[in-house]
Formats: sequence, C-alpha cells, structure tokens
Amino acid sequence: MTTNYQFKRLCAGRDYIADNYLDPFSLSRAAKSSHMSQYHFSRVFKKLYGETPNEFLIRLRIEKAKKMLITENLSVSEICERVGYISLGSFSSLFLKQVGMPPTLYRRTLWALSSETFHFPSQIIPACYAYHFLGKSAN
Amino acid sequence: MIKSIAHVTVYVLNQEQALDFYKNKLGFEIGDDMTIEGGFRWLTVYPKSQPKLQLVLAEPKEGPMFTKDASEKIRSLIEDGAFGVGVFETDDCQKTYDELVAKGVEFTQAPTEQLYGVEAMGKDNSGNWFSLVQQAK
Repeated sequence: MTTNYQFKRLCAGRDYIADNYLDPFSLSRAAKSSHMSQYHFSRVFKKLYGETPNEFLIRLRIEKAKKMLITENLSVSEICERVGYISLGSFSSLFLKQVGMPPTLYRRTLWALSSETFHFPSQIIPACYAYHFLGKSAN
Repeated sequence: MIKSIAHVTVYVLNQEQALDFYKNKLGFEIGDDMTIEGGFRWLTVYPKSQPKLQLVLAEPKEGPMFTKDASEKIRSLIEDGAFGVGVFETDDCQKTYDELVAKGVEFTQAPTEQLYGVEAMGKDNSGNWFSLVQQAK
C-alpha cells in the first residue's frame, strides 16, 4: 500500500519525467525529485503505475508523436526530434513496438480514414462515442 | 467476464474549464486530447494512480445524441447539480479537503465521520458533485 506521503513524492518524480521528456532519461534525477533511491523509486513506480519510469517516458513520447503525426505537417525525422529522440531508428523501432505499425504507416492510415485534414478519424475513439457524438456508425 | 471499466462519461459545461479543474485543481492527468473529424474534442483525464480509468469530459452539445432542447436541459441539470462524477478515494480526507479548498474547490460538506469512513462532498466547476472518501480501516 502506497501512503499519501509516498504517493506525493512518487508523483513529483513522475512529473519530473513528464516535464523533462525532451531530455535524455535520467533515473537518478527523477528519483532525486522523489527523495528516493533509484532502486526504491523504480520499484514503487512500477508497483503503482504498472510500468517502469523508462516505459512511462517512452509511452509519453510516443503518444506525443502520434498526435503530431496526425495534426502537424512535419516529417517523421522532425517529429522524432521534437519528442526527444536523436536516433530515427530507435524512435521508429519504439513506435512500431508501442503502436503496432511504423510512424509513416500510422500517419498514412489515419489520414486516409479522416475526412478532415489534420484531424483524427472517428475510428480512433470507442465506436459508441463516435456514434453518439458524431453520428458515425462502425459499419 | 468484464474485466474493468475503461471510460466513464462526465458531462461538463465547457471542456476547457473542466480540464483546468480536473488537471490543475484535482491533479488529474490528461489521457487523450484530440480533435476528431467533425470537430468533436475527445478529452479524457485520469487520476495519477489510476491511468486505466479515463473520465471522458464531454459537452452535451446539440448533435446526433442531443436535440437543441435536450442539450439545453442537460446543461441546466448539470448546473443544478443533478449529476455526480462518483467517489474519489483518498488516504486522508481532511488533508486532501484542506488542499483542495486552498485551491478554490467548492465543497458542500466538510469531512464528516460516516459508517464507512470519512467523507466530504464537493462540486466540479460545472456543477457535478463528487465525494471524497477516506475508507474506514
């Protein structure tokens, strides 16, 4: 059981990672923000959030990249840099692992589904919401 | 077998103002914030310790779901406090209550001993009520 005090400290470390997502990952600095040892920080972080601090950072960066791929007219290389990766290869590989398709294919697929430029297609949200709010049926 | 609840809809009067409340007052995180074709803003937030339960902050706008009349009625009911978000859990109701009051959150009931723990009742900035509960040990 995470206490209120421990939870607050953990949140400080998590916020540190989120606020500095463009910088190279530093477990020691994140742990320091939580006033915990690196080992303890990683352990309680994983226990509470179900992912390691590094996995959290990757997920955060990929989510930002997914949004940019749809809403911005930037190249994949530019997006890679704008979410904190130096290597396009590493970025593409992590994107593929998280999303199930490479960045370019993700963009092409979603852009093709959407009727409006730089907007997400309705298929990205649960069909019940698309049906009720947009009048779009899954079929 | 149903495993868990992933999304719960909370109707709000204004998404931007609701986002400010849930993020900056209650300390929730943004799950998704994207504009879908047709102009619908898909906006979700979640408590930091529970990322798999997303609150969908949606405005009851006129559209496929609501007629203009229904939309206005729903908005009026939200403002009147007819709807509730649910129960938020905390380890220390008094402390969390004090923190939220300091941030300007409106409460209709201060922390009170109940059979099941300590409970305070508040409202979001649309008018939806919520409970803040510290479960009895």
